[in-house]
Amino acid sequence: MSYLITQLMREWGFLLRQKYVVVLLLCSLVLSGFAIYSGLSEISTQQQTIERLKVADQSDRAIVHKKQSDAGMLAYYSFHLTYSQPSNLAFAALGERDIFPWKHRINLLALEGQIYESDAQNAELAQAGKIDFVFVISALAPMVIILLFHDLFASERTSGRHDLLVTTAKSYFALWGARITVRFVAIIVCLMLPFFVGGFIAGASAYEVAYVSLLCIVYLAFWTALSVWWGKNATSAPRVASSLIGLWVLFAFIIPILGDLAINKSVHSPKGGDIMLTQREAVNDAWDLPKSATMQPFIIEYPALAPYIDMKSEFEWKWYYAFQQMGDLKAAELSEAYRDAAAKKYELAGFVSWVSPPLLLQRSLTRTANTDSIAAYAYEQQIRDYHQQLREFYYPWLFYKGDPTKAALENMPLFENTTQSSN
Amino acid sequence: MSINNFSKVVIVAKDEWRYWLRSKLAMTVLAIGLLLTLSSVVVTAITMLELSHDRHELQSNAEQSFVDQPDRHPHRMVHYGHYAFRTPSPLSTLDPGIDAYTGNSIFLEGHRQNSAMFADQRQGTALTKLGSLTPAFIVQTLAPLLLILIGYSSISRERESQTLSYLLAQGTSGITLITGKGLALLSVVGLVIAPLAISALFTVSAGESLLAVASFVVGYALYLTVWVLLILLASSVFSKNSGSFTALAFVWILLCIVMPRVASTSASTAVPSAGKIETDFAVKAELRKLGDGHNTNDPAFKQFKQSLLKKYNVNSIDELPVNFRGLVASESEAKQANVLNQFAELRMQSELKQTQVSRYFGWVSPMVAIRSLSMIVVGTSIETHHRFLRETEQLRFDFVQGLNKIHIEELDYKDDMNRNANAAATKKARVSAQNWQILQDFNFNVDSADVRAQRSVPAFLQLLLWIVVLVGGIKFLGKRLL
Repeated sequence: MSYLITQLMREWGFLLRQKYVVVLLLCSLVLSGFAIYSGLSEISTQQQTIERLKVADQSDRAIVHKKQSDAGMLAYYSFHLTYSQPSNLAFAALGERDIFPWKHRINLLALEGQIYESDAQNAELAQAGKIDFVFVISALAPMVIILLFHDLFASERTSGRHDLLVTTAKSYFALWGARITVRFVAIIVCLMLPFFVGGFIAGASAYEVAYVSLLCIVYLAFWTALSVWWGKNATSAPRVASSLIGLWVLFAFIIPILGDLAINKSVHSPKGGDIMLTQREAVNDAWDLPKSATMQPFIIEYPALAPYIDMKSEFEWKWYYAFQQMGDLKAAELSEAYRDAAAKKYELAGFVSWVSPPLLLQRSLTRTANTDSIAAYAYEQQIRDYHQQLREFYYPWLFYKGDPTKAALENMPLFENTTQSSN
Repeated sequence: MSINNFSKVVIVAKDEWRYWLRSKLAMTVLAIGLLLTLSSVVVTAITMLELSHDRHELQSNAEQSFVDQPDRHPHRMVHYGHYAFRTPSPLSTLDPGIDAYTGNSIFLEGHRQNSAMFADQRQGTALTKLGSLTPAFIVQTLAPLLLILIGYSSISRERESQTLSYLLAQGTSGITLITGKGLALLSVVGLVIAPLAISALFTVSAGESLLAVASFVVGYALYLTVWVLLILLASSVFSKNSGSFTALAFVWILLCIVMPRVASTSASTAVPSAGKIETDFAVKAELRKLGDGHNTNDPAFKQFKQSLLKKYNVNSIDELPVNFRGLVASESEAKQANVLNQFAELRMQSELKQTQVSRYFGWVSPMVAIRSLSMIVVGTSIETHHRFLRETEQLRFDFVQGLNKIHIEELDYKDDMNRNANAAATKKARVSAQNWQILQDFNFNVDSADVRAQRSVPAFLQLLLWIVVLVGGIKFLGKRLL
């Protein structure tokens, strides 16, 4: 045991004396720290924004409730906040939250006309991408590992010590094993330490932290093994490194880009604009159609409202909202196809990621952190469900109960976000 | 430099090429580089041409379906709305920039400023988070790496194999040697840029100005020159190939992969901008003060009513020669647009500020500099998007007010007030479909080449500064090579 420790201590000493290794390790620590810091601050901004929005949303609606009493006007002017709370792990994997909206306000009008509105961030910044922990581990760490391990054997060879070292060393491990272990542990510590601190601050569960750590360590071990193995018989360190970097470029850029190209060519999705157009045409045509053209299909959906569809004038709110819903219904097929195509693309991207380790890690972590497009579509579904709840709340007032009392408004359904944590 | 020296430089460069032609690594790298650039140019060009075609078609379809609407109450058309599509600029076949992130269509309707919709990224596979197959990405990110792989050993190799002292002893000065190696690497740069330059020249026939094309090509040439200089510098500083290689690979990660993201992350932290929903609360509060344009009895319009009665010298709104409801709609639309535009302007300003902060990082990373230079010159930067938003807002305002004008002049006030009484009354409160011919043809054009060139000046300066500093460093080292 003590023999092992001496070996490790010796290598530790060697490591600290190599300037470029120390620089690499320090840079990894700084980058990982920056990624965690910015991830945490991004998430805390998102949380604060949601809290502010909740307050503003309530007071905004209170004003509408005070000003309007007519059920139709109330529904027209009341907007309702929906949001998707970042999970405890989101700080490490910001995922698609910069592209998909995580906050939305809707009213009772046709949903298809509202749901694609995006509250996007600065597009030029989104295009450059953000630094988060997943990015540091999946894209940068392999490069650092390649730089750390590619010349393990080659450097000793070129300086003529290799054969001497091998013959005098007590065992294979005593020499290479200890060296590899020390470097591997050092890089893991530098990369993961900020994540543990971040996990603690963000209140991630021990299970989540352990799971993410496991994935990351396996991934880093893969690159270490690859670098060591590749460099075993080489004499020229740069040659080893260039092939490894080539492999990295292949995994991180070429395979994903080609995969993306192939998937986009093979999966046909309706154009987003067509959904909006269909919905808009349906809603606008309804004004000129006989009322029954809207009401008949409507009561198939809501048979309980059938006795109340007669209209006294040419305009009544119940008819107005009924044709809004019929507009959604007309666009439903396209809209589903649009979402199905997105799901299909995500699924196919899963197959591609099996041949690209960086992608695989990114996918697994964004899935765990609930920040991928699956999470985004789940949130969209929550908005749809909530919109349905609102319809069910308003319809009785619009159709037969008359204008709601202020007390009744208290019972208006509130959006509840349930995606606190995944799995 | 004398003729003699110049011929020496050429000899060194030729010799470097001979070395590459014999090296499997260099040839593979060169082939991959050319293949990537070529395929990215072709793929992106096809995609953007399709997009451009699609959007032209969608635009004329949208205009046609507007005009084809039946007789209606004019306010129905205000809500029917209209679409505007952004057609990509010719040069954007080489750098689509933020196109995939902003979405490219916008729904225009009364009383609202919608955001652009259906960003491609929302239908994406999440595979291209690190990069996509666009010429811009390939040349900005991967080309430097290829140059490093070919050139890292250009001088350190001579030193390691101890040929450097011979060369210097035989009267080849350090500067000549470095210049020769640099010339060889620059010829590689020429090879990489050639497909880019040729396809850029083709866009001239599609109406792109020569100035933009020239700035674009020169920008990329300067950028890759920075990398050539960095490689020469590292190769002269380090005594070993491995040292020079490790250092260059590390610098590449920092400058090309890390810095752009640090720039965008820092920018969004340094200049926080409230999202659209959050600003909407403030907007709504302001709008509420203006009153509801659908409701002529809204107390907010009392004064407006008085002034109208006075202007036309009548006692009641029934006596007005024009439709009071239309007047209220028009009046309130104008006031609302005013408020909406104020907030939109604020938002754009804060986005510009953010972008500015991220562009400052161009002083520390040539990659950030070329990124902004390229997007600005091509016309796919945030400024162009803002221009699109402003122009579509003008389009929106014009057609809505056009419809309101029809509402005022063509529709009788009594018929209008009576419109919901029965089916016949509803029919009466309509105007002829002939009135829908008010749409202006919408054609989005990016800023003029002059404006784009002007905007790209800081980025050019950033690249030039890099070149000056690096040339200075190399000159200093070249004198004391060994």
